[in-house]
Amino acid sequence: MIDLVRLTDVNKVYQGGITGALNGVSISVEKGEFAAIMGPSGSGKSTMLNLIAGLDRPTSGTITVGGTDLAKLSEGGLARFRRDTIGFVFQFFYLLPNLTALENVLIPAQLKGSDAKGRARDLLDKLGIKEVADKYPARLSGGQQQRVAIARALINNPTLLLADEPTGALDTHSGDQVMELLGGLHRDGQTILLVTHDAKLATRNAARVLSVVDGRIVDDARLESPERAASEVIRVRSEETSR
Amino acid sequence: MTAVIVKALADLRRRRLQAGVIFVTVLLSIAAGTMAVTLMSQTRDPYQAAFQAQKGAHLQVAYKAGTDPRLLSTTPAAIGATAFGGPYPVSTIQFKFKEQKFFVDAVGRDNPLGDVEVLNITSGRWAQANDEIVLTRSFADLHGISIGDRVKVTSVAQTPLLSVVGEVVDIDEGSADLSSQRAWVQAAAIPSLTSPDSSYYLMDYRFAADPTRAQLQGYTDRLRAALPAGSITGSLNYILIRNIFNITNQILTGVLSAFSIFALAATLAIVATLVTGIVISAYREIGIMKAIGFMPAEVVGVFALQIVIPALAACMLGIPLGTIVSQPLLANSSHALGLSYTPSFSIGMDLMILAAGLLVVAIAATLPALRAGLLKPIAAIAKASAPRGAGGRLLRKSAARAHLPRPVVLGIGDALARPLRAVLTLVTVLLGVATVVVAVGLPRSFLLINNSATGAGNYQVVVTRTSAYPDSEVMRVLKAQPETARVVAIGGQNITVPGVLDPVNTRLYRGDSSRLGFLVIAGRWFSAPGEVLAPAALLRDAHLKIGDSFTGSTDGQVLQLRVVGETYDINNFGHSLFMDLATMASTKPAIEPYMYDVTLASGADVAAYVHRVAAVQPDLIDVHASDTSIITPVQIIDLVLLVIAGVLALIGIGGVFNTLLLNTRERIRDTATLKALGMSPRQVMAMVTASAAFLALIGGVVAMPVGLYLHHVLNDVISNSAGNDTPPAAYAVFNAYELVLIPLLAVAVASVAALVPGRWAARTNVVEVLHAE
Repeated sequence: MIDLVRLTDVNKVYQGGITGALNGVSISVEKGEFAAIMGPSGSGKSTMLNLIAGLDRPTSGTITVGGTDLAKLSEGGLARFRRDTIGFVFQFFYLLPNLTALENVLIPAQLKGSDAKGRARDLLDKLGIKEVADKYPARLSGGQQQRVAIARALINNPTLLLADEPTGALDTHSGDQVMELLGGLHRDGQTILLVTHDAKLATRNAARVLSVVDGRIVDDARLESPERAASEVIRVRSEETSR
Repeated sequence: MTAVIVKALADLRRRRLQAGVIFVTVLLSIAAGTMAVTLMSQTRDPYQAAFQAQKGAHLQVAYKAGTDPRLLSTTPAAIGATAFGGPYPVSTIQFKFKEQKFFVDAVGRDNPLGDVEVLNITSGRWAQANDEIVLTRSFADLHGISIGDRVKVTSVAQTPLLSVVGEVVDIDEGSADLSSQRAWVQAAAIPSLTSPDSSYYLMDYRFAADPTRAQLQGYTDRLRAALPAGSITGSLNYILIRNIFNITNQILTGVLSAFSIFALAATLAIVATLVTGIVISAYREIGIMKAIGFMPAEVVGVFALQIVIPALAACMLGIPLGTIVSQPLLANSSHALGLSYTPSFSIGMDLMILAAGLLVVAIAATLPALRAGLLKPIAAIAKASAPRGAGGRLLRKSAARAHLPRPVVLGIGDALARPLRAVLTLVTVLLGVATVVVAVGLPRSFLLINNSATGAGNYQVVVTRTSAYPDSEVMRVLKAQPETARVVAIGGQNITVPGVLDPVNTRLYRGDSSRLGFLVIAGRWFSAPGEVLAPAALLRDAHLKIGDSFTGSTDGQVLQLRVVGETYDINNFGHSLFMDLATMASTKPAIEPYMYDVTLASGADVAAYVHRVAAVQPDLIDVHASDTSIITPVQIIDLVLLVIAGVLALIGIGGVFNTLLLNTRERIRDTATLKALGMSPRQVMAMVTASAAFLALIGGVVAMPVGLYLHHVLNDVISNSAGNDTPPAAYAVFNAYELVLIPLLAVAVASVAALVPGRWAARTNVVEVLHAE
């Protein structure tokens, strides 16, 4: 298999921070994988996702995505990288309030200069929200907003889909629907990196769970079946947190 | 109260840049306002003060040289004058100083004091011998003549030399750059300076109270009736002279007042925008303030104080600044009137400006801050910021349909996302651009009028002759020059017009005067004897319109005249006539031209021509290149307009900058999201710039008709104050491309103003912003 994402001895220390948000993290994610990064609040999992997305730069270490060393990219280069390679799904959706659902989905394509209206409508249809295309975010439920956000993340056919607590702001039913969607995308070949603090959620669809505590990878579990995986991951977490 | 101040000061420190915007805009507008108020209050009527101090003449009348002086001495009683001066013998002389020649009315007067027209000696002394002369200070200053200089009188064959021994301020004549001038010699010196037909008697009359225009008309009518026909050749009243002195300051204070109000309005729009923006973005903070015990009025106070504190600092600096900047203009007025100048300001007035300025700023800040006071704490905490407006959606859709790049589409949409903010910003842009339009247009209008008055482009050389050198000789000399293409000869005469107070100064032309470049406002230029043109004031006072005929008189001889056109002429505030010299063919004595406007063949060397013609008769004719320079008062007005346009433009830029700051900060999460989705820093800059450019474009486009209308109105006000209608050409001073270029310039300036907020937005740290959410 080909490594799509590779982090080598990555450290991240925020200004004024005594201890790092990430401490010597080295992982790789293969193309087509659905990996979950799991850990408690403040463990560094979102930091890892932000670094992979090129939203932030590591204090040291190297990050390559699709063979591109992100350290070598300028701010503009990182923007193009995100636009072309990454799809990002946020916990709080971050839809632009003054654009309709369809317009929100179209934004990344339009930033690239491409006209993807047909694909945007197809995505909305595929995600079961084609009827809200012309509605503004304020008129949509949380679940609908997150589906719009997923459609937006997919509009440029990203090589890597990053999802940061995508169900964190949703009720259980909507959260389940969103996770089913992500599972379906993975089955279609989409590489997904999911950040969550919910072990059940992580194991339900992901085939691999990376556990992060205090900025370190403490476990990298490749799961054969979701049922077994959940118990193993939960066990590992409790061991780590009780240290 | 302490908590309010502490919180306001803390917020102020946090919003230093916006406090800076308030400081600068209030500073500029309050300084301009102070300047206007200082000029208005301190120059309310300096002429009146000088007129009383120097016992100015309410009425000055010129009598024919042959009039019996004993008869003239009875005239004060005939009109009830309480004091009089004269009769003074006067002779119009030409004298030469260095290479320049000048015409002045030399008044024979042995004493500068008296009951009327006290001459205020500002340097030197009064003339005590027949070879001494006293000049007005404004004339001496204008032409660089000093005490001790000697001038050569060239209007008489003996060409005597006179020593300049004194400079005076004469309250009964205008300044040298606007009016012809007098000079004073001993009465005994007048005969030796007098050439044929150049002398008259001058009488000064003063009344117990300032007479009205109608009363003055009655006095001159009575004098005419009491004296032989044709005795009165001219008259001058204090109202006209006062207007000449006051017109520059009147125009300046008018312009300053109008644009100070503009500046204040723009500043208030910025204040209201800023406070609204702060309140919108501080919902959660407002909720917390209320939750910990701030009363609604205290919450309002916190927001209002954030504006009032920098505004107070700006006023403390702006008021002294405005007062200081107005001092040179005040000193100029005092100097012209011979009044002693002391730096003038009024603490009381300054305090009033301070109070008024702070009050309006406080009101502009308090009204939008009331929203904060009325918010329910829980709702405020829950919302974090005000719901975003739906404004801009239609616009964004239109922009998208125009296939503009997405960042531009988003930026244009953002510009109107908060409609009230957008409108207030447009107001500041509109006022700035409209003022720039006026500041560009008015000087051009002035230049156009100046060029018509000075013949710029129509004639290049002006020749004047003394009576000792005949008209025929001048024409012979001029026609003998190969470069001479056209000569228009000009004579002058005062003509009495029914209904008009003073005899009207009339210019009489021989030759093709229609090509001298005079502005014809209505009707046509004269083409036959008896046809006349006049400015609006004369037509109005004489109740004449184009096509009317009337009977004028000069030296007791009747003239049948018909109005064929309205022209522009500021001399004597629009009281003049223009006609063919042949109209006066039958009058006695015959009127001969004394001045010649010479048009040279294209490519001719003007300096060489002047030199050659002047050499023909160095003393008896004056030859000089036509002076097309703009007079000082107009230059001052142009300069003030330029400064004011700069001030308003800066305030407009401040308005756009302020709005962009608010928009950028308010939409920081959206910007972070867009960056996360792949918007490059350059695209973020483009988005913010598009927002600014759009506001500037709309403001600029709307400002163009507003500015053109203001230009039209100000032209009318200024022309009317000088007794004229505005020539149509003075309105049309903009090229079509400029009408497009000015709004585009506004767009360019706004785009530059967008650089700072644009860079901030481009540098938005996505992780920090989204993490903070």
